[in-house]
Order: sequence, then C-alpha cells, then structure tokens
Amino acid sequence: MKRFKGKPLVSAIILGLIILGCVFAEVIMNHDPVYMDLANFDKAPGKEFFFGTDNLGRDIYSMIWYGGRCSLMIGFLATLISTTIAVVYGTLSGISGMLVDDIMMRFTEILLSIPGILLIIFVQAMIGQQNILAISIIIGVTSWMSIAKMVRTEVKLIRTQEYVLVSKQMGAGFFHVLGKHYFPNFISSIMFMIVMNVRSAIVAESTLSFLGLGLPIEVISWGSMLSLSEKALISNAWWVILIPGVFLVITLMCITNIGNYIRERMNKGESNM
Amino acid sequence: MNKRKKLLILIAKKMLVFFVSIFALSIIAFSMSRIAPGDPLVSYYGDRAERMNTEEREHAIHRLGLDGTLTDQYVAWFKGAIKGDFGESFKYKENVLTVIAGRLVNTLLLGGIGFLLTFFLALLLGILCALHEGDWLDTLLCKVGTITSCIPEFWLSLVLILIFSVTFHLLPSSGAFGLGEADSILSRIRHMILPMVVIVLSHLWYYAYLIRNKLIDEKRKEYVLMSKSMGLTNRQVMWRHCVRNIMPAFISIMAISLNHVLEGTYIVEMVYSYPGIGTLSFESAKYHDYNMLMVLVIIMGVVVILGNIIGQIISENIDHRMKEEAIIEDAEVVASEKI
Repeated sequence: MKRFKGKPLVSAIILGLIILGCVFAEVIMNHDPVYMDLANFDKAPGKEFFFGTDNLGRDIYSMIWYGGRCSLMIGFLATLISTTIAVVYGTLSGISGMLVDDIMMRFTEILLSIPGILLIIFVQAMIGQQNILAISIIIGVTSWMSIAKMVRTEVKLIRTQEYVLVSKQMGAGFFHVLGKHYFPNFISSIMFMIVMNVRSAIVAESTLSFLGLGLPIEVISWGSMLSLSEKALISNAWWVILIPGVFLVITLMCITNIGNYIRERMNKGESNM
Repeated sequence: MNKRKKLLILIAKKMLVFFVSIFALSIIAFSMSRIAPGDPLVSYYGDRAERMNTEEREHAIHRLGLDGTLTDQYVAWFKGAIKGDFGESFKYKENVLTVIAGRLVNTLLLGGIGFLLTFFLALLLGILCALHEGDWLDTLLCKVGTITSCIPEFWLSLVLILIFSVTFHLLPSSGAFGLGEADSILSRIRHMILPMVVIVLSHLWYYAYLIRNKLIDEKRKEYVLMSKSMGLTNRQVMWRHCVRNIMPAFISIMAISLNHVLEGTYIVEMVYSYPGIGTLSFESAKYHDYNMLMVLVIIMGVVVILGNIIGQIISENIDHRMKEEAIIEDAEVVASEKI
C-alpha cells in the first residue's frame, strides 16, 4: 500500500469508474436516454427510474451515462485543440526575435483581458453550429493563452542549449525541433495546466449548454441536461438539477485532485535539484 | 528632480501601453463582431427586416452605418468614438451610453462589493489557515475549499435558488429589485444576496489558498524567529509583520484578478437575470447590437488592462526586491536575445 501513499488513488478510481460507465453506457442504461416517455414526465427518483425523469419524460439515470460521453469527449477534444495551438504559438513566440515575441505576447494578453465567456460567445457566433466538434473547437480556440505563455517561457530557456543548436545546424525543421527537443522539455511544466484545461473545458461546455449557446437539448450532455433546470425550478423537480450537477462536480473534483498531484510532484522535482 | 522625471517617464510609458492595448482591443472586437454571421438589421427592425425590399434594405444599412468596407466602418466608428459619440443601440434605439449607464451601477454594486468581500474574506481565511498550518482546521478548510472551487458558478446559483427561493421562499430568484420597488434599498439588498454569495463562494478559495501559501512561505523567514525570541506571540507576529509584508503581493493579486471576478459576475448576472452589463453584453453579442458590444468590450478592457498595469506598478515599485529581480530577469532575456 505504501506505493500509493500521497497519490490521488480515490480520485483516479472514481474518475475511472465514471469514464468506464460513460464508455459502456449501453450496458448500464435501463431506458432509452433519448426516448421521451410522455406518460412519465417529472417523476421523482424511484424503483423504475433510479434518478427520476425530466419534464420531457426522459430517464435521468440513463441520460447521465449517455450524456457523460459528450461532456468528457468535449473536455478532452477541446484540450487537445487548445494544447496544440498553445504549443505551436508559444514555441513560435519563444524562438522569434524580440519585436515579434513582444507583439505575440501582447496579443495573448489582450485576448486574456476579454472575459472568457464573452470570447466564447463571439467565436460561437462566428462558427454558428451547435454540435460536439463545433463546441470543442470554440472552447479550444478560446482557452490556449495561458499555456502558450508558459510554453514560451520554457522555450526561451532552452532554445540556446547546444543540442538544439546542433539539431538546427544539421538541418532540422521547426516541427522536428519542437517534437524532439522542446516538447519533451516543457511537457512536465505544462502537464498541470493541461489537466486543468480539461476541467475548465467541461465547465465551459456545461455553462454554454446551460445558457442555450452550447449543445441543444436533443444532444444529451451534462450541460444540456441542466438547461432544463429553469422549468425544473418551477415544478420543484430537484433531481433534474441536483443529480447531473453532482456528477459534474465529482468529475471536476477528481480531475482537480489529479492535477494538484501532478503540480506537487513537479515542484518536488525542482526543489531536489 | 531626477526622481520626478523618472516617474513621468514611467507614467508616459504605461499610458502608451494602455492606449495601444485599448486600440488593438477595439480593432479585434470590431472585426470579430462583424465577421460573425447574422443580421444586425433584425435586432433594429425586428421581423420587419425580413420583409424589406432591396432598396429599403440598402437605405437601412446606410442609416445604421453598416455600408462600406470593414476599414471604412471602423474609421467612421473611431471618429465618433473620439468625440464621445458611440452611436445608437440597435436593440434599445437609444444612445449606447444612456442604456449602459442605467445598468453599470448594478454591476458595479454587485461585482464591486463581491470583489472586495471576496478578498477581505480570502485574507482572513488565508491568515487562519496559515496560523493553524498542518493541523485539523487547516486540513479541513483546504479540503472544503477545494470542493467549493470545483463547483461551476451556474450550478451553485441553481442550487441556491432551489434551496432559498423555491423550497423556503426566503429570497427572490431573479432581477435587481421587486415590482414597483426600484427605490427600495431593502428590496435591492434582498435581490443581491444570492448572486453575491455565488460570486464570493466561487472565487474565495482560489485566492485564500494563494494567500495561505504566501503566508506560509513568510513564516519560514528569519525575522519571525527573532520576533518570537523577543516575546511576541504567533498571532502578533502574523498580524504585525507577516501580513504587512505580503500586502504588496496581495494588492497586486487583487489588481490582476479583476478579469476573473468580472467573468464570474457576468455568468451570475445571466443566471439571476440581474440587469447589469453582463446580461447586456450577452444580449448584444447574441443580437448583433454592434455599437453596444463595442462599448461594453472597451469598458471591460479598460478595467482589466488598468488592473494589470496597477498590479505591475505595485510589484515593481512598492516591493523593491521584485524590481531588482525583474531587472535581472530582463537582463537575462536581453542577453539571450543577443546570442
């Protein structure tokens, strides 16, 4: 057991279970999540409907697992997009001359000064589509700035190292140097931010869908399930609001714990040097 | 004399950065909002816009200043903006500034008080945790804090509405004041409680944790040992010395976190349909109310960029150690540029 001391074991197990449950949603679901059973709407949790039904008569227990797929997928996809942009942009900025570097960093600062949700609404209006890919792109292109800044700082520190210079002398291209030399060096310092990015992408999706700007009600995700909560408030259907939210918060907490562990481990490594 | 000159140069430099940033922001916001698909005429003329013939349409487009290239439109907008004329809101058909003025007070009250309250409580909580470092109280607060920081603002708002408005009927769930109670301060306060709680709770731990860690670093310093050997208690050392020493860092954290808290305020305003500039920005982005959107983005930019500059000035000037470090860092960067 000593091996697991200090590691976020509980968080990892819970997160693993939630991911497994979502991947194999078909196995654990006991109703069709998209079927609107109009005879059974707004039913409280009970034997037949474990977590109750929403005001469209859909079974919340089945929707949680089925919809979790969308939420988690958007979390990972958006992070993949934002990390890719951040790595390329940050590296470019880091290896550029002082003027270009300055302009590129000022640009990220200006983007950072627009509140994230407004930036997302802007991009959403530009893309104008409401599906998983579009929402992931929207969240991805609006959340790369802080990682890019970190990447740039790290690249600035290693770009004059001999092995990088040698590699360039031997005719290596931008992406070769990036993949072979820069990336392995800065990955540990941005890992924490990448994990936290998954978390903020999931939050952004749920907030957007809740406000009616993300996924429509027919596409089930934890956010779009919560967009029905205004009606649930009127009929006092607490389960429609609380249950998807609890799943959301537990997932976010597990991710945060894992992220914090990565950060602490990284800090420890540094102080030992 | 020399000192005053230096200060003037510093102010001039910061002003330049400020104006260039705002200018760039206005260009970005301008082009982004106009590239977005959607018909701004609909927000001005409503359904009538769809029944217009070509001639009427052209006339309407000209009237709203939407003809010409993007550059022409920007130049026209910029010329007006310098004179203080930001145009007319497409949706409210009134001068943009008049509409915003009515809403700005609400947001300033909600966001401003929320902001100060968050940092006041964060400081107290940080001190409490640092004093009890490592024992059960600190561990408990850290655990609870991490949980609260994982709760999305909109969901926390919903849960609070469910508990306090729907179940117990204690507090109102939306708006800034009751029907016909616009002048009643009590009604305004009652409407502000829930949104305020959400703003404070969702940001509190993030900053409390930062302050806790800063204070814990401070506790490791040697002057603490000396003060204790002179007979001061832990509490006295903490309040008289440690807290005072982290003040510059605290204020600069406050200044650069304006953006973060502002964003939270926007989301909370939308959930509680609170008539502030958050709901207004949301509306104007959705309905392509260009003139309105531009002013709102610029107001936001001014607040956030000013905050950043203030944060920088504080950390460079009040805390001289930071300045020296910054100079060394700059020198290193410059040196690496030359290679």
